Amino acid sequence: MIKIEKFLLTLSIIASLGILFILTPIIALFIAVDPNTLVKTWFTDPLLSEQARNALLLTLEAAFTSSILLMIIGIPLSYFLTRYGFRGKNIVEAIIDIPLMIPHAVAGIMILLAYGRRGILGPLLSVTGIVIEDSFWGIVTAMMFVSFPIMIDTLKLGYLSIDESIELVARSMGANRLDTFVKITLPLLLPSIVAGFLLSWARAVSEVGAILIVAYYPKTMNVLVLEWFNSYGLKYAVSLSFVLVLFSLIVFILLKTVVKK
Amino acid sequence: MIEIKDLYVELGNFTLKIDNLIINENEYLVVMGPSGVGKTVFLHTLAGFIKPKKGVIRYNNIDLTMEPPEKRGFAIIPQDFGLFPHMTVYENIAFGLVIRKIDRNRIDELVKRYAELMEISHLLHRKPNTLSGGEKQRVALARALIIKPRIILLDEPFSNLDPSLRVKMLGFLKRLRKQLRFTAIHVTHDIIEALELADRIAYIHRGELKGVFTPSEFVNTQYAKPYMNELLLVYKRLKQLGIDNVNIVT
Ligand SMILES: Nc1ncnc2c1ncn2[C@@H]1O[C@H](COP(=O)(O)OP(=O)(O)O)[C@@H](O)[C@H]1O
Ligand SMILES: [Mg+2]
Repeated sequence: MIKIEKFLLTLSIIASLGILFILTPIIALFIAVDPNTLVKTWFTDPLLSEQARNALLLTLEAAFTSSILLMIIGIPLSYFLTRYGFRGKNIVEAIIDIPLMIPHAVAGIMILLAYGRRGILGPLLSVTGIVIEDSFWGIVTAMMFVSFPIMIDTLKLGYLSIDESIELVARSMGANRLDTFVKITLPLLLPSIVAGFLLSWARAVSEVGAILIVAYYPKTMNVLVLEWFNSYGLKYAVSLSFVLVLFSLIVFILLKTVVKK
Repeated sequence: MIEIKDLYVELGNFTLKIDNLIINENEYLVVMGPSGVGKTVFLHTLAGFIKPKKGVIRYNNIDLTMEPPEKRGFAIIPQDFGLFPHMTVYENIAFGLVIRKIDRNRIDELVKRYAELMEISHLLHRKPNTLSGGEKQRVALARALIIKPRIILLDEPFSNLDPSLRVKMLGFLKRLRKQLRFTAIHVTHDIIEALELADRIAYIHRGELKGVFTPSEFVNTQYAKPYMNELLLVYKRLKQLGIDNVNIVT
Protein backbone atom coordinates (compact mmCIF):
# COMPACT_ATOMS: atom_id res chain seq x y z
CA MET A 1 0.00 0.00 0.00
CA ILE A 2 2.65 2.44 1.13
CA LYS A 3 4.79 1.35 -1.77
CA ILE A 4 2.11 2.25 -4.27
CA GLU A 5 1.67 5.66 -2.70
CA LYS A 6 5.38 6.31 -2.82
CA PHE A 7 5.30 5.28 -6.45
CA LEU A 8 2.46 7.68 -7.19
CA LEU A 9 4.19 10.44 -5.25
CA THR A 10 7.39 9.99 -7.22
CA LEU A 11 5.43 9.95 -10.46
CA SER A 12 3.58 13.14 -9.68
CA ILE A 13 6.76 14.93 -8.58
CA ILE A 14 8.50 14.01 -11.82
CA ALA A 15 5.40 14.93 -13.81
CA SER A 16 5.14 18.31 -12.10
CA LEU A 17 8.81 19.04 -12.64
CA GLY A 18 8.38 18.21 -16.30
CA ILE A 19 5.43 20.52 -16.72
CA LEU A 20 7.24 23.23 -14.80
CA PHE A 21 10.22 22.89 -17.12
CA ILE A 22 8.03 23.67 -20.14
CA LEU A 23 5.79 26.20 -18.46
CA THR A 24 8.46 28.44 -16.91
CA PRO A 25 9.81 29.84 -20.20
CA ILE A 26 6.27 30.52 -21.39
CA ILE A 27 5.42 32.35 -18.17
CA ALA A 28 8.74 34.19 -18.30
CA LEU A 29 7.94 35.36 -21.80
CA PHE A 30 4.47 36.52 -20.83
CA ILE A 31 5.91 38.38 -17.81
CA ALA A 32 8.58 40.00 -19.94
CA VAL A 33 6.01 41.54 -22.26
CA ASP A 34 5.96 45.32 -22.03
CA PRO A 35 2.39 46.44 -22.80
CA ASN A 36 3.49 49.77 -24.28
CA THR A 37 5.90 48.12 -26.68
CA LEU A 38 3.29 45.52 -27.52
CA VAL A 39 0.75 48.15 -28.52
CA LYS A 40 3.39 50.08 -30.39
CA THR A 41 4.75 47.15 -32.40
CA TRP A 42 1.37 45.72 -33.31
CA PHE A 43 -0.86 48.77 -33.60
CA THR A 44 0.32 52.35 -33.14
CA ASP A 45 3.71 52.48 -34.86
CA PRO A 46 2.86 52.31 -38.58
CA LEU A 47 6.25 51.03 -39.71
CA LEU A 48 6.75 48.41 -37.02
CA SER A 49 3.16 47.21 -36.93
CA GLU A 50 3.09 46.72 -40.66
CA GLN A 51 6.25 44.63 -40.49
CA ALA A 52 4.94 42.60 -37.56
CA ARG A 53 1.53 41.92 -39.08
CA ASN A 54 2.94 41.01 -42.46
CA ALA A 55 5.43 38.65 -40.84
CA LEU A 56 2.74 36.95 -38.77
CA LEU A 57 0.41 36.55 -41.72
CA LEU A 58 3.22 35.28 -43.93
CA THR A 59 4.33 32.73 -41.35
CA LEU A 60 0.83 31.35 -40.85
CA GLU A 61 0.14 31.28 -44.57
CA ALA A 62 3.41 29.57 -45.49
CA ALA A 63 3.08 27.01 -42.69
CA PHE A 64 -0.50 26.29 -43.74
CA THR A 65 0.50 25.88 -47.39
CA SER A 66 3.40 23.66 -46.41
CA SER A 67 1.16 21.41 -44.30
CA ILE A 68 -1.49 21.17 -47.03
CA LEU A 69 1.12 20.14 -49.59
CA LEU A 70 2.67 17.65 -47.17
CA MET A 71 -0.75 16.16 -46.54
CA ILE A 72 -1.32 15.70 -50.26
CA ILE A 73 2.06 14.00 -50.60
CA GLY A 74 1.93 12.20 -47.27
CA ILE A 75 -1.41 10.41 -47.56
CA PRO A 76 -0.41 8.34 -50.62
CA LEU A 77 3.27 8.02 -49.68
CA SER A 78 2.57 6.70 -46.19
CA TYR A 79 -0.08 4.36 -47.58
CA PHE A 80 2.49 2.94 -49.94
CA LEU A 81 5.10 2.61 -47.19
CA THR A 82 2.78 0.80 -44.79
CA ARG A 83 0.73 -1.35 -47.15
CA TYR A 84 3.40 -2.61 -49.53
CA GLY A 85 6.76 -4.23 -48.95
CA PHE A 86 9.55 -3.66 -51.42
CA ARG A 87 13.29 -3.97 -51.65
CA GLY A 88 15.13 -1.07 -50.03
CA LYS A 89 12.12 0.11 -48.02
CA ASN A 90 14.28 0.58 -44.92
CA ILE A 91 16.58 2.86 -46.87
CA VAL A 92 13.66 4.92 -48.18
CA GLU A 93 12.31 5.27 -44.63
CA ALA A 94 15.73 6.34 -43.35
CA ILE A 95 15.98 8.95 -46.10
CA ILE A 96 12.59 10.36 -45.16
CA ASP A 97 13.82 10.90 -41.60
CA ILE A 98 16.99 12.73 -42.64
CA PRO A 99 15.57 16.23 -42.00
CA LEU A 100 15.17 15.24 -38.33
CA MET A 101 18.89 14.67 -37.99
CA ILE A 102 20.62 17.50 -39.80
CA PRO A 103 21.18 21.05 -38.54
CA HIS A 104 18.63 23.44 -39.97
CA ALA A 105 21.18 25.68 -41.64
CA VAL A 106 22.54 22.63 -43.44
CA ALA A 107 19.00 21.82 -44.52
CA GLY A 108 18.78 25.32 -45.98
CA ILE A 109 21.99 24.86 -47.92
CA MET A 110 20.82 21.50 -49.25
CA ILE A 111 17.54 23.05 -50.39
CA LEU A 112 19.42 25.80 -52.24
CA LEU A 113 21.70 23.25 -53.89
CA ALA A 114 18.69 21.28 -55.04
CA TYR A 115 15.98 23.81 -55.86
CA GLY A 116 17.86 27.14 -55.97
CA ARG A 117 18.36 29.08 -59.20
CA ARG A 118 21.69 27.34 -59.69
CA GLY A 119 20.59 24.14 -57.99
CA ILE A 120 20.19 20.76 -59.65
CA LEU A 121 16.46 21.22 -60.29
CA GLY A 122 16.59 25.03 -60.44
CA PRO A 123 16.30 25.29 -64.24
CA LEU A 124 13.34 22.92 -64.19
CA LEU A 125 11.60 24.96 -61.50
CA SER A 126 12.22 28.27 -63.25
CA VAL A 127 10.27 26.94 -66.24
CA THR A 128 7.21 26.93 -63.99
CA GLY A 129 8.10 30.43 -62.82
CA ILE A 130 8.96 29.34 -59.31
CA VAL A 131 12.08 30.81 -57.76
CA ILE A 132 12.80 29.88 -54.18
CA GLU A 133 15.46 32.45 -53.26
CA ASP A 134 13.85 35.14 -51.15
CA SER A 135 10.32 34.14 -52.05
CA PHE A 136 7.15 32.76 -50.47
CA TRP A 137 7.75 29.44 -52.18
CA GLY A 138 11.26 29.34 -50.78
CA ILE A 139 9.85 29.63 -47.27
CA VAL A 140 7.28 26.94 -48.04
CA THR A 141 10.00 24.67 -49.44
CA ALA A 142 12.15 25.07 -46.33
CA MET A 143 9.15 24.43 -44.09
CA MET A 144 8.11 21.37 -46.08
CA PHE A 145 11.59 19.92 -45.93
CA VAL A 146 11.87 20.12 -42.15
CA SER A 147 8.25 19.01 -41.51
CA PHE A 148 8.31 16.17 -44.01
CA PRO A 149 9.32 13.34 -41.63
CA ILE A 150 6.84 14.51 -39.02
CA MET A 151 3.90 14.32 -41.42
CA ILE A 152 5.00 11.00 -42.92
CA ASP A 153 5.72 9.31 -39.62
CA THR A 154 2.44 10.46 -38.07
CA LEU A 155 0.44 9.20 -41.06
CA LYS A 156 2.36 5.92 -41.08
CA LEU A 157 1.41 5.30 -37.46
CA GLY A 158 -2.17 6.10 -38.42
CA TYR A 159 -2.22 3.59 -41.27
CA LEU A 160 -0.62 0.94 -39.06
CA SER A 161 -3.33 1.42 -36.44
CA ILE A 162 -6.04 0.52 -38.96
CA ASP A 163 -6.86 -3.18 -38.85
CA GLU A 164 -6.10 -4.45 -42.33
CA SER A 165 -8.72 -7.19 -42.11
CA ILE A 166 -11.34 -4.43 -42.24
CA GLU A 167 -10.02 -3.35 -45.63
CA LEU A 168 -10.05 -6.96 -46.79
CA VAL A 169 -13.68 -7.34 -45.76
CA ALA A 170 -14.60 -4.23 -47.75
CA ARG A 171 -12.85 -5.64 -50.82
CA SER A 172 -14.67 -8.95 -50.48
CA MET A 173 -17.97 -7.07 -50.26
CA GLY A 174 -17.29 -5.67 -53.70
CA ALA A 175 -15.37 -2.46 -53.04
CA ASN A 176 -12.38 -1.89 -55.30
CA ARG A 177 -9.13 -0.43 -53.99
CA LEU A 178 -10.25 3.16 -54.48
CA ASP A 179 -13.69 2.64 -52.89
CA THR A 180 -12.06 0.90 -49.96
CA PHE A 181 -9.56 3.69 -49.53
CA VAL A 182 -12.16 6.44 -49.69
CA LYS A 183 -14.90 4.79 -47.64
CA ILE A 184 -12.90 2.81 -45.10
CA THR A 185 -9.24 3.77 -44.84
CA LEU A 186 -9.47 7.53 -45.16
CA PRO A 187 -12.21 8.07 -42.55
CA LEU A 188 -10.30 5.89 -40.10
CA LEU A 189 -7.12 7.82 -40.87
CA LEU A 190 -8.73 11.20 -40.20
CA PRO A 191 -7.48 11.65 -36.62
CA SER A 192 -3.94 10.98 -37.82
CA ILE A 193 -4.35 13.41 -40.70
CA VAL A 194 -5.38 16.13 -38.27
CA ALA A 195 -2.52 15.24 -35.92
CA GLY A 196 -0.01 15.18 -38.77
CA PHE A 197 -1.29 18.50 -40.02
CA LEU A 198 -1.01 20.13 -36.60
CA LEU A 199 2.44 18.79 -35.84
CA SER A 200 3.89 19.67 -39.22
CA TRP A 201 2.22 23.09 -39.08
CA ALA A 202 3.80 23.71 -35.68
CA ARG A 203 7.16 22.50 -36.90
CA ALA A 204 6.89 24.82 -39.92
CA VAL A 205 5.92 27.85 -37.84
CA SER A 206 8.92 27.28 -35.59
CA GLU A 207 11.48 26.86 -38.38
CA VAL A 208 14.10 29.56 -38.75
CA GLY A 209 17.51 28.11 -39.68
CA ALA A 210 16.65 26.82 -43.13
CA ILE A 211 14.48 29.85 -43.90
CA LEU A 212 17.31 32.27 -43.03
CA ILE A 213 19.42 30.67 -45.73
CA VAL A 214 16.82 30.06 -48.42
CA ALA A 215 14.59 33.10 -48.06
CA TYR A 216 15.54 35.86 -45.63
CA TYR A 217 12.92 37.95 -47.42
CA PRO A 218 9.97 38.18 -47.24
CA LYS A 219 10.46 38.13 -43.47
CA THR A 220 8.72 35.48 -41.44
CA MET A 221 8.05 35.97 -37.74
CA ASN A 222 11.12 34.05 -36.70
CA VAL A 223 13.41 36.01 -38.96
CA LEU A 224 11.86 39.26 -37.74
CA VAL A 225 12.26 38.22 -34.08
CA LEU A 226 15.97 37.61 -34.70
CA GLU A 227 16.33 40.88 -36.56
CA TRP A 228 14.53 42.99 -33.95
CA PHE A 229 16.42 41.27 -31.17
CA ASN A 230 19.69 42.32 -32.83
CA SER A 231 18.70 45.85 -33.81
CA TYR A 232 16.02 47.00 -31.28
CA GLY A 233 16.71 44.73 -28.32
CA LEU A 234 14.89 42.18 -26.17
CA LYS A 235 11.71 44.18 -25.51
CA TYR A 236 10.79 44.32 -29.18
CA ALA A 237 11.67 40.69 -29.81
CA VAL A 238 9.53 39.67 -26.82
CA SER A 239 6.62 41.67 -28.12
CA LEU A 240 6.71 39.74 -31.39
CA SER A 241 7.29 36.35 -29.78
CA PHE A 242 4.44 36.81 -27.35
CA VAL A 243 1.86 37.03 -30.10
CA LEU A 244 3.31 34.06 -31.95
CA VAL A 245 3.30 31.86 -28.85
CA LEU A 246 -0.18 33.01 -27.89
CA PHE A 247 -1.46 32.32 -31.37
CA SER A 248 0.08 28.84 -31.51
CA LEU A 249 -1.35 27.98 -28.11
CA ILE A 250 -4.84 29.03 -29.16
CA VAL A 251 -4.67 27.10 -32.43
CA PHE A 252 -3.47 23.95 -30.66
CA ILE A 253 -6.04 24.07 -27.90
CA LEU A 254 -8.85 24.76 -30.37
CA LEU A 255 -7.89 21.96 -32.72
CA LYS A 256 -7.31 19.47 -29.92
CA THR A 257 -10.79 20.05 -28.55
CA VAL A 258 -12.24 19.77 -32.04
CA VAL A 259 -10.44 16.46 -32.63
CA LYS A 260 -11.63 15.07 -29.30
CA LYS A 261 -15.18 15.50 -30.56
CA MET B 1 -20.18 -24.83 -57.66
CA ILE B 2 -16.72 -23.79 -56.65
CA GLU B 3 -13.85 -25.81 -57.96
CA ILE B 4 -10.27 -25.67 -56.72
CA LYS B 5 -7.62 -27.47 -58.70
CA ASP B 6 -3.88 -27.95 -58.08
CA LEU B 7 -3.77 -24.88 -55.88
CA TYR B 8 -0.30 -24.05 -54.63
CA VAL B 9 0.47 -21.06 -52.40
CA GLU B 10 3.85 -19.91 -51.14
CA LEU B 11 4.23 -17.42 -48.29
CA GLY B 12 7.80 -17.21 -47.06
CA ASN B 13 8.56 -20.67 -45.71
CA PHE B 14 4.94 -21.71 -45.63
CA THR B 15 3.29 -23.59 -48.48
CA LEU B 16 -0.32 -24.59 -48.99
CA LYS B 17 -1.37 -27.37 -51.36
CA ILE B 18 -4.94 -28.18 -52.31
CA ASP B 19 -5.03 -30.68 -55.17
CA ASN B 20 -8.71 -30.99 -55.69
CA LEU B 21 -11.69 -29.59 -53.84
CA ILE B 22 -15.25 -28.99 -54.98
CA ILE B 23 -17.82 -27.08 -52.98
CA ASN B 24 -21.35 -27.61 -54.23
CA GLU B 25 -24.13 -25.05 -54.40
CA ASN B 26 -25.68 -24.55 -50.93
CA GLU B 27 -23.14 -26.79 -49.33
CA TYR B 28 -21.73 -26.00 -45.90
CA LEU B 29 -18.12 -27.10 -45.88
CA VAL B 30 -16.27 -27.03 -42.60
CA VAL B 31 -12.49 -26.84 -42.85
CA MET B 32 -10.73 -28.30 -39.85
CA GLY B 33 -7.14 -28.49 -38.75
CA PRO B 34 -4.92 -27.40 -35.87
CA SER B 35 -3.60 -23.86 -35.51
CA GLY B 36 -1.09 -22.60 -38.03
CA VAL B 37 -1.74 -25.19 -40.74
CA GLY B 38 -2.94 -22.66 -43.31
CA LYS B 39 -6.69 -22.39 -42.84
CA THR B 40 -6.69 -18.60 -42.91
CA VAL B 41 -4.23 -18.58 -45.80
CA PHE B 42 -6.65 -20.85 -47.65
CA LEU B 43 -9.61 -18.51 -47.12
CA HIS B 44 -7.53 -15.47 -48.08
CA THR B 45 -6.41 -17.20 -51.26
CA LEU B 46 -10.02 -17.99 -52.15
CA ALA B 47 -11.01 -14.39 -51.43
CA GLY B 48 -8.22 -13.11 -53.65
CA PHE B 49 -6.03 -11.43 -51.04
CA ILE B 50 -3.23 -13.91 -51.65
CA LYS B 51 -2.22 -14.83 -55.18
CA PRO B 52 -1.46 -18.53 -55.64
CA LYS B 53 1.73 -19.64 -57.39
CA LYS B 54 -0.16 -22.29 -59.32
CA GLY B 55 -3.63 -23.68 -59.76
CA VAL B 56 -7.15 -22.51 -60.56
CA ILE B 57 -10.20 -21.37 -58.66
CA ARG B 58 -13.41 -21.58 -60.65
CA TYR B 59 -17.01 -20.67 -59.99
CA ASN B 60 -19.48 -22.42 -62.29
CA ASN B 61 -16.67 -22.75 -64.84
CA ILE B 62 -15.72 -19.06 -64.63
CA ASP B 63 -12.02 -18.80 -63.88
CA LEU B 64 -11.58 -16.48 -60.89
CA THR B 65 -7.92 -17.20 -60.15
CA MET B 66 -6.68 -13.85 -61.36
CA GLU B 67 -9.74 -11.78 -60.46
CA PRO B 68 -9.38 -9.15 -57.70
CA PRO B 69 -11.33 -9.77 -54.46
CA GLU B 70 -14.12 -7.35 -55.35
CA LYS B 71 -14.96 -9.24 -58.55
CA ARG B 72 -15.27 -12.68 -56.94
CA GLY B 73 -18.45 -12.38 -54.94
CA PHE B 74 -16.84 -14.27 -52.05
CA ALA B 75 -17.78 -12.53 -48.81
CA ILE B 76 -15.35 -13.01 -45.96
CA ILE B 77 -16.13 -12.85 -42.25
CA PRO B 78 -12.85 -12.62 -40.35
CA GLN B 79 -12.23 -13.93 -36.87
CA ASP B 80 -12.82 -10.55 -35.22
CA PHE B 81 -15.84 -9.91 -37.52
CA GLY B 82 -14.16 -6.92 -39.20
CA LEU B 83 -17.04 -4.48 -38.68
CA PHE B 84 -16.36 -0.96 -39.93
CA PRO B 85 -15.89 0.98 -36.67
CA HIS B 86 -16.82 4.39 -38.09
CA MET B 87 -20.16 3.24 -39.47
CA THR B 88 -23.42 2.39 -37.74
CA VAL B 89 -24.77 -1.15 -37.86
CA TYR B 90 -27.15 0.01 -40.59
CA GLU B 91 -24.30 1.41 -42.68
CA ASN B 92 -22.24 -1.71 -42.09
CA ILE B 93 -24.99 -3.97 -43.39
CA ALA B 94 -25.75 -1.64 -46.30
CA PHE B 95 -22.10 -1.35 -47.35
CA GLY B 96 -22.05 -3.92 -50.15
CA LEU B 97 -25.29 -2.56 -51.59
CA VAL B 98 -24.10 1.06 -51.47
CA ILE B 99 -20.96 -0.01 -53.32
CA ARG B 100 -23.18 -1.60 -55.96
CA LYS B 101 -25.04 1.72 -56.25
CA ILE B 102 -28.37 0.15 -55.53
CA ASP B 103 -31.40 2.39 -55.11
CA ARG B 104 -31.68 3.89 -51.58
CA ASN B 105 -35.21 2.66 -50.98
CA ARG B 106 -34.33 -0.84 -52.04
CA ILE B 107 -31.29 -0.77 -49.73
CA ASP B 108 -33.45 0.36 -46.85
CA GLU B 109 -35.92 -2.43 -47.49
CA LEU B 110 -33.19 -5.08 -47.68
CA VAL B 111 -31.26 -3.86 -44.64
CA LYS B 112 -34.43 -3.95 -42.56
CA ARG B 113 -35.32 -7.41 -43.84
CA TYR B 114 -31.90 -8.87 -43.05
CA ALA B 115 -31.75 -7.10 -39.70
CA GLU B 116 -35.02 -8.73 -38.78
CA LEU B 117 -33.78 -12.10 -39.93
CA MET B 118 -30.69 -11.73 -37.75
CA GLU B 119 -32.68 -10.31 -34.84
CA ILE B 120 -30.69 -7.08 -34.77
CA SER B 121 -33.38 -4.59 -35.84
CA HIS B 122 -33.06 -2.78 -32.52
CA LEU B 123 -29.31 -2.21 -33.09
CA LEU B 124 -29.35 -0.52 -36.48
CA HIS B 125 -28.37 2.94 -35.21
CA ARG B 126 -25.59 1.68 -32.91
CA LYS B 127 -21.85 1.74 -33.57
CA PRO B 128 -20.01 -1.61 -33.58
CA ASN B 129 -17.98 -0.89 -30.44
CA THR B 130 -21.17 -0.87 -28.39
CA LEU B 131 -22.19 -4.40 -29.44
CA SER B 132 -21.66 -7.74 -27.71
CA GLY B 133 -19.79 -10.56 -29.44
CA GLY B 134 -22.94 -12.35 -30.54
CA GLU B 135 -24.45 -9.13 -31.88
CA LYS B 136 -21.30 -8.30 -33.84
CA GLN B 137 -21.39 -11.77 -35.29
CA ARG B 138 -24.94 -11.35 -36.54
CA VAL B 139 -24.17 -7.94 -38.02
CA ALA B 140 -21.22 -9.46 -39.86
CA LEU B 141 -23.45 -12.26 -41.16
CA ALA B 142 -26.11 -9.80 -42.31
CA ARG B 143 -23.52 -7.64 -44.04
CA ALA B 144 -22.12 -10.67 -45.87
CA LEU B 145 -25.38 -12.38 -46.79
CA ILE B 146 -27.23 -9.28 -47.97
CA ILE B 147 -25.12 -9.10 -51.13
CA LYS B 148 -26.11 -12.66 -52.01
CA PRO B 149 -22.50 -13.78 -52.30
CA ARG B 150 -21.48 -16.85 -54.25
CA ILE B 151 -20.04 -18.11 -50.98
CA ILE B 152 -19.36 -16.82 -47.50
CA LEU B 153 -16.02 -17.55 -45.92
CA LEU B 154 -16.14 -17.74 -42.13
CA ASP B 155 -12.81 -17.74 -40.32
CA GLU B 156 -13.23 -19.28 -36.85
CA PRO B 157 -16.41 -17.25 -36.33
CA PHE B 158 -17.15 -18.62 -32.87
CA SER B 159 -13.68 -18.52 -31.35
CA ASN B 160 -14.33 -15.17 -29.66
CA LEU B 161 -17.67 -16.18 -28.15
CA ASP B 162 -18.30 -17.73 -24.75
CA PRO B 163 -19.90 -21.20 -24.62
CA SER B 164 -23.51 -20.18 -24.07
CA LEU B 165 -23.32 -17.75 -26.99
CA ARG B 166 -21.63 -20.36 -29.13
CA VAL B 167 -24.43 -22.82 -28.60
CA LYS B 168 -26.95 -20.12 -29.40
CA MET B 169 -25.12 -19.05 -32.55
CA LEU B 170 -24.82 -22.65 -33.72
CA GLY B 171 -28.59 -23.00 -33.53
CA PHE B 172 -28.99 -19.62 -35.15
CA LEU B 173 -26.75 -20.49 -38.09
CA LYS B 174 -28.54 -23.80 -38.65
CA ARG B 175 -31.90 -22.06 -38.76
CA LEU B 176 -30.52 -19.37 -41.02
CA ARG B 177 -29.31 -21.97 -43.49
CA LYS B 178 -32.78 -23.39 -43.81
CA GLN B 179 -34.27 -19.94 -44.34
CA LEU B 180 -31.76 -18.48 -46.75
CA ARG B 181 -29.78 -21.27 -48.38
CA PHE B 182 -26.22 -20.20 -48.98
CA THR B 183 -22.87 -21.76 -49.68
CA ALA B 184 -20.23 -21.50 -46.99
CA ILE B 185 -16.77 -22.47 -45.98
CA HIS B 186 -16.45 -22.41 -42.24
CA VAL B 187 -12.99 -22.71 -40.72
CA THR B 188 -12.66 -24.02 -37.19
CA HIS B 189 -10.64 -26.28 -34.97
CA ASP B 190 -13.67 -27.21 -32.94
CA ILE B 191 -15.16 -30.67 -33.54
CA ILE B 192 -18.54 -29.74 -32.10
CA GLU B 193 -18.98 -26.87 -34.56
CA ALA B 194 -17.92 -29.16 -37.38
CA LEU B 195 -20.31 -31.95 -36.49
CA GLU B 196 -23.19 -29.57 -35.88
CA LEU B 197 -22.90 -27.57 -39.07
CA ALA B 198 -21.03 -29.44 -41.73
CA ASP B 199 -22.39 -31.12 -44.80
CA ARG B 200 -18.83 -32.21 -45.34
CA ILE B 201 -15.58 -31.72 -43.45
CA ALA B 202 -12.26 -30.96 -45.13
CA TYR B 203 -9.14 -31.61 -43.09
CA ILE B 204 -5.97 -29.57 -43.58
CA HIS B 205 -2.70 -30.45 -41.94
CA ARG B 206 0.64 -28.66 -42.33
CA GLY B 207 -0.46 -26.87 -45.45
CA GLU B 208 -1.98 -29.85 -47.19
CA LEU B 209 -5.57 -30.91 -47.78
CA LYS B 210 -5.73 -34.45 -46.39
CA GLY B 211 -9.24 -35.29 -47.48
CA VAL B 212 -12.91 -34.38 -47.52
CA PHE B 213 -15.36 -36.45 -45.51
CA THR B 214 -18.96 -36.61 -44.46
CA PRO B 215 -19.28 -36.03 -40.70
CA SER B 216 -19.89 -39.72 -40.07
CA GLU B 217 -16.85 -40.65 -42.13
CA PHE B 218 -14.74 -38.01 -40.46
CA VAL B 219 -15.20 -39.21 -36.89
CA ASN B 220 -13.65 -42.52 -37.89
CA THR B 221 -10.54 -41.07 -39.53
CA GLN B 222 -7.14 -40.79 -37.86
CA TYR B 223 -7.50 -36.99 -38.10
CA ALA B 224 -10.52 -36.98 -35.83
CA LYS B 225 -8.78 -39.09 -33.19
CA PRO B 226 -7.51 -36.30 -30.93
CA TYR B 227 -10.88 -34.53 -31.05
CA MET B 228 -12.80 -37.74 -30.41
CA ASN B 229 -10.46 -38.61 -27.54
CA GLU B 230 -11.24 -35.28 -25.97
CA LEU B 231 -14.98 -35.89 -26.26
CA LEU B 232 -14.48 -39.40 -24.91
CA LEU B 233 -12.59 -38.00 -21.93
CA VAL B 234 -15.54 -35.83 -21.01
CA TYR B 235 -17.93 -38.72 -21.54
CA LYS B 236 -15.85 -41.01 -19.28
CA ARG B 237 -15.54 -38.40 -16.59
CA LEU B 238 -19.26 -37.75 -16.56
CA LYS B 239 -19.84 -41.47 -16.17
CA GLN B 240 -17.33 -41.62 -13.31
CA LEU B 241 -19.21 -38.86 -11.60
CA GLY B 242 -22.34 -40.94 -11.94
CA ILE B 243 -23.98 -38.60 -14.36
CA ASP B 244 -25.45 -40.64 -17.21
CA ASN B 245 -28.34 -38.45 -17.82
CA VAL B 246 -27.56 -34.77 -18.06
CA ASN B 247 -30.49 -32.44 -18.17
CA ILE B 248 -29.57 -29.71 -20.53
CA VAL B 249 -31.03 -26.39 -19.57
CA THR B 250 -31.49 -24.08 -22.49
N1 LIG C 1 1.86 -13.06 -45.11
C1 LIG C 1 2.52 -14.16 -44.67
N2 LIG C 1 3.84 -14.31 -44.92
C2 LIG C 1 4.50 -15.39 -44.48
N3 LIG C 1 3.94 -16.39 -43.78
C3 LIG C 1 2.64 -16.31 -43.51
C4 LIG C 1 1.85 -15.18 -43.92
N4 LIG C 1 0.58 -15.36 -43.49
C5 LIG C 1 0.59 -16.54 -42.84
N5 LIG C 1 1.80 -17.11 -42.84
C6 LIG C 1 2.17 -18.40 -42.24
O1 LIG C 1 1.34 -19.40 -42.78
C7 LIG C 1 1.06 -20.37 -41.79
C8 LIG C 1 -0.41 -20.64 -41.73
O2 LIG C 1 -1.06 -19.54 -41.15
P1 LIG C 1 -2.64 -19.48 -40.99
O3 LIG C 1 -3.28 -19.75 -42.29
O4 LIG C 1 -2.95 -18.19 -40.36
O5 LIG C 1 -2.93 -20.65 -39.96
P2 LIG C 1 -4.34 -21.10 -39.37
O6 LIG C 1 -4.58 -22.48 -39.87
O7 LIG C 1 -4.19 -21.10 -37.88
O8 LIG C 1 -5.37 -20.13 -39.83
C9 LIG C 1 1.65 -19.88 -40.49
O9 LIG C 1 2.85 -20.59 -40.26
C10 LIG C 1 1.92 -18.42 -40.75
O10 LIG C 1 3.04 -18.03 -40.03
MG1 LIG D 1 -6.46 -18.68 -38.75
